[in-house]
Amino acid sequence: MSSKDSLFQSVVEIEEDKAYELVKQLVEDGVDPKEIIEILSKAVEVIGEKFSKKEYFLTELVMAGEIFQHSAKILEPALKKDKIKVESKGVVVVGTVKGDVHDIGKNIFVTLLQSAGFEVHDLGVDIPPQDFVEKVKETNADVVGYSGLLTVALETMKETIGALKAEGLRDKVKIIIGGLPIDELWMKESGADAFTDNAFEGVKIVKEWLKEG
Amino acid sequence: MEFEPIKEEPMTSVERVMTAMSLKEPDRVPVWPLIDFLPAHYMDITAQEMVEDPDKSQYAYEWIYHKLGGYDISMVGGGMCMMYMNPFPDFFSAYYVDWRLPGRMLGVNESPQLMEKSLANPILTENDYDRIIDEGLLWLANFKRAGIGDLIKKPKIAAKVEEYTIKWWTHYKVPTFTDGAMIIPFDLLSVFRGSTNFMKDIYRYPDKIKAVSDFLIDNLIAMGEYSLSKTKGKTILVGAVRGSADFVSIKHFEELFWPYFKKAVTRYVNDGFIVQLHMDTSWTDRLHYLLELPKGKIYMHMDERTDIFKAKEILGDHMCIQGNLKPSLFTLGTPAMVEKQTKEIIDKCAEGGGLFVGSEIPDNAKLENLKAMIDTCKTYGVYRK
Repeated sequence: MSSKDSLFQSVVEIEEDKAYELVKQLVEDGVDPKEIIEILSKAVEVIGEKFSKKEYFLTELVMAGEIFQHSAKILEPALKKDKIKVESKGVVVVGTVKGDVHDIGKNIFVTLLQSAGFEVHDLGVDIPPQDFVEKVKETNADVVGYSGLLTVALETMKETIGALKAEGLRDKVKIIIGGLPIDELWMKESGADAFTDNAFEGVKIVKEWLKEG
Repeated sequence: MEFEPIKEEPMTSVERVMTAMSLKEPDRVPVWPLIDFLPAHYMDITAQEMVEDPDKSQYAYEWIYHKLGGYDISMVGGGMCMMYMNPFPDFFSAYYVDWRLPGRMLGVNESPQLMEKSLANPILTENDYDRIIDEGLLWLANFKRAGIGDLIKKPKIAAKVEEYTIKWWTHYKVPTFTDGAMIIPFDLLSVFRGSTNFMKDIYRYPDKIKAVSDFLIDNLIAMGEYSLSKTKGKTILVGAVRGSADFVSIKHFEELFWPYFKKAVTRYVNDGFIVQLHMDTSWTDRLHYLLELPKGKIYMHMDERTDIFKAKEILGDHMCIQGNLKPSLFTLGTPAMVEKQTKEIIDKCAEGGGLFVGSEIPDNAKLENLKAMIDTCKTYGVYRK
């Protein structure tokens, strides 16, 4: 097996240390860092597919994100040296809405978006509507994603959408909401464009949106 | 204030609940809305008072019990204070875990939230696994955490809780649940490390997690019995979240979760407590493991992520179950929707006993939706002899 295939394989098998060794080796061998990033992205996507098929679980998704991010750090000097800029596939603003501090799902959504090549601005937890508005203006975002686990989050999700409308931004962005209790009923009530309780599926939806645009 | 008396039925709630738990058919299906701060939404008592003032919280629980025409299990006034002030390391102890409590770091009517520092500054670092084996966990206590230092000076809470526990069981003849609570090392470590860090630890340091779990399990079991010893409570909640299919593989569940969970539950049953399993998130693919637990002694709450119909199929002859009603239904839904879903659960799961109907209830739930669930159990849920 080539080192590239081994890298792909070791990421899919969640062999963390081995993956980092191989990334370093490939850099030393002079492989284009962009190509290495592509291998990593593909491996993360396979992990996501396994997650959807319930062969893998959240732990494996977290590890996939970790391996991707750490590998990207290893690649940073090489990318800088060759002045390579990895093109962003779109800008996404993410946060947990005001009144709620749950962030497990949101954090995974963020890493998966990053590994899929999106520019992500993670506002954190307990975020008031105005902060979303400011960030969307500042970054010219394509997508806004907000999450919540508590039922009070529904109210603040509505407020957040209201704030975006008031600033004339609602039609410029697509809105996806996430969290375990969220369903069709909740989404309609909140005025969002899509919902998910699965971070990987959420990334798929975002990809689909930005492909069209 | 005097309450309207509750309409009498063939069995008392205590008899009904115990019959269902022993997998026999009572007069009707028991119903338990898991109410936390709902009364604060409808009466002149704040969420903060419901945590900190045993008298006011007992009054609030009695008020809502009567307002809804009676149901079969209640929380006890002051119970939440006992949980958040537990001096031992536990999921609910605000001395160990960063709970934001109402009126402290939250508004007086906001419900408590766990601040889980999932990435930066976790309570435990990855180097602390070895320290736990040397020193235990008590060094983690921070009595100034969340500005609750004054709570420890509250006098005689345990005595109040005992008085109100007896009131529910003997005066109202309604059992109190969640008199005490424990979680196994796996879940506790996940909270202390932050879930995201802990999931990485599962891959990086599985042997350390195992060693620490072996070291902690007996102590955590004993600590779970501590608050019961103070209040003479009978029921203990064993909570489980992070070992589910929403978090880990069966392999990790088998190695790091299940042996400890089984040990704790079996010990509590053998010690004569009523055990309530509180299983959040999705357990459908690992329900069959629960067959290894003692039969006819346990009640299990599942949220809607676990398939209750599958649970009835697998565990129907083994333990009492409750689940499948989504909390948001009580806020966003209508009485007709609640009635329909309640009937479906009764139709498919009531036969032979072993069923409670209920759900965790959001603090802003509509009372008519709760009433729809309760009344459906009282009419449609009658067992015909």
